[in-house]
Amino acid sequence: MKLFTKYNRINVISTVIIFLIGCAAFSFLLRYVIINQVDEDLKIEKNEILTYIKTNAHLPSVIEVKDQYTTYRSINKPITLTNKIFTNEAYDKDDRKKELRRTIEFTVNVNNEWYMVNVSKSLEGTDELIQTIIVITVALILLILAATFIINRIVLKKLWHPFYSTLSVTQQFNLNDKQRIHFDATNIDEFNYLNSTLNNALIKAQKDYKSLKEFTENASHELQTPLAVIQSKLDILIQNEKLSEGESINIQGAYDAVQNLKKLNHSLLLLAKIENNQFSAQTKIDLTQLLQNKLGQFADLWKNRQMTEKVNMQPVVIKSNEQLVDILLNNLLSNATKHNYPNGSISITLQHKKLIVTNTSNEGVIDEKILFKRFSKANISADGYGLGLSIIKQICDASGFVCIYNFSEPNVHSFIIEFN
Amino acid sequence: MKILVIEDEKELSKSICQYLASEQFITETAYDFNTALEKISLYDYACIILDITLPYGSGLNILKELKDNNKADGVIIISAKNSLDDKVFGLKAGADDYLTKPFHLSELSARVAAIIRRKSFDGKNTVVFDELQIQLDAKQALINNKILDLTKKEYDLLLYFISNKNKVISKSAIAEHLWGDNMDLADNYDFIYTHIKNLRRKLLQYGAPDYIKSVYGMGYKFSLPK
Repeated sequence: MKLFTKYNRINVISTVIIFLIGCAAFSFLLRYVIINQVDEDLKIEKNEILTYIKTNAHLPSVIEVKDQYTTYRSINKPITLTNKIFTNEAYDKDDRKKELRRTIEFTVNVNNEWYMVNVSKSLEGTDELIQTIIVITVALILLILAATFIINRIVLKKLWHPFYSTLSVTQQFNLNDKQRIHFDATNIDEFNYLNSTLNNALIKAQKDYKSLKEFTENASHELQTPLAVIQSKLDILIQNEKLSEGESINIQGAYDAVQNLKKLNHSLLLLAKIENNQFSAQTKIDLTQLLQNKLGQFADLWKNRQMTEKVNMQPVVIKSNEQLVDILLNNLLSNATKHNYPNGSISITLQHKKLIVTNTSNEGVIDEKILFKRFSKANISADGYGLGLSIIKQICDASGFVCIYNFSEPNVHSFIIEFN
Repeated sequence: MKILVIEDEKELSKSICQYLASEQFITETAYDFNTALEKISLYDYACIILDITLPYGSGLNILKELKDNNKADGVIIISAKNSLDDKVFGLKAGADDYLTKPFHLSELSARVAAIIRRKSFDGKNTVVFDELQIQLDAKQALINNKILDLTKKEYDLLLYFISNKNKVISKSAIAEHLWGDNMDLADNYDFIYTHIKNLRRKLLQYGAPDYIKSVYGMGYKFSLPK
């Protein structure tokens, strides 16, 4: 629920309730006051009648007054004297309808004859007044609701504008961006505070990320020289003609480990460079030609392992970074070769800006959640570090390609690269 | 022929000198910028192996100094920085080749040999080993004036062997040389065996002695049979 909606809902409900209560209280109070007033009038009327009787010893004649009705009724001697005020309903001959009246009823003794005097006043005016009040109140409620709605629409939206602009700046924020994040200044303290807090947090995140990246890159760089020393020493060591077979096997073990370390370091540096956008140069690439060259390179390897390849290529030209695309093809084909078995098959399809590399394997389906993760166990074969696929993913992300993984029984893995 | 190794990592420098030291190469070393500058101004070298990051100065300035003085020394840059930009920059600055650390000494040796060949044999580009003659321009190998029918890979392999004659070359060095180091081929270099086998068969077929010797599981050595 939006903040506006929530606020509006509370606002509307409370306004309506307050106005209804106010309206009810007001009409009751008014009714009470008016009835009191009418009662006072009726009592005055009664006193006037009593005074008249005392002076003149007979009942006063009934004078026609609008909305006031006086009647005398002769009665037997009452046991108790009546004197009461009440509300009743009566038929109004003028308006030809029933109406509410306030009536005073009392007994008088005129020359030993008992009469019941009944004076009523119409309450019709009072009802009209109360109705008017209700109409006015409802109109006021509607007016206030409309006003609130408009104020919320215009004023709140304007007030909250800095919040939404902060939100959109934060959404566009990318840890990898070298640009510093910028929030527009506002004249509202709370938003300025929010912006400065966010700004600090994001700058810190950016800094941490940068230093982490730099660390990886520097560490990899610094490793190159000692690796070169070890490699060179081993290259010298294998020249020794007097090495026994056992010594040779040990040296071979160390040699292989250094090759792996070289590859690992090479991959880490490559990942760092891709993240640093160091492959930004774009050229037109004849993918068909490039892939053809790669297939030539892999042909020996496949032949040696008695693997069969199915190739289906249509001319595809894309605009991207040639080095990255080269590495991408290398990794896709290497991956399909490494995780294959002797006599297995590899199928390569290139058409409609889409490259599909499918290979048979002894391994089952790979969990997609960890498929492209660095050093994930899923794609660590006996000799790999699980970086090949994350490099593929990283290159796709950096180049705007889409990489899809597909699995079908029996243990057939495919990687689909969509070049857009 | 003299080679200058400008490299501040002494152990690496020693290895390079030890590997290259043979009857035709005399190696000298410089461990920092100033020594290097002094040596290049005093002597001429057939080839200079140059590290970029040096104490007291950049290797690129040494390169500049060489070019400013119109020195014809061949230069191969060895750098820990593996980026196309650095490579392009180094080559534009006048280097003849660029090799990224870590490298195989056999690869460095082959590249140094190539630079020296380019610099010293003006046009007449022939390498001779025993009965074997390699014409670099025509990219063909001859035994007793008969042209060997070699594939491109076999020719490259033969040239690599001759540039590293009497040395054991590891299988991974051969694989990297022939297929490039971007190809992630795992530890299994068996596939190079086919090429070695074919090359050896062809050499024998044309009457050459068996030059290629397998050294345990480590690699191969190209030498005159004893």
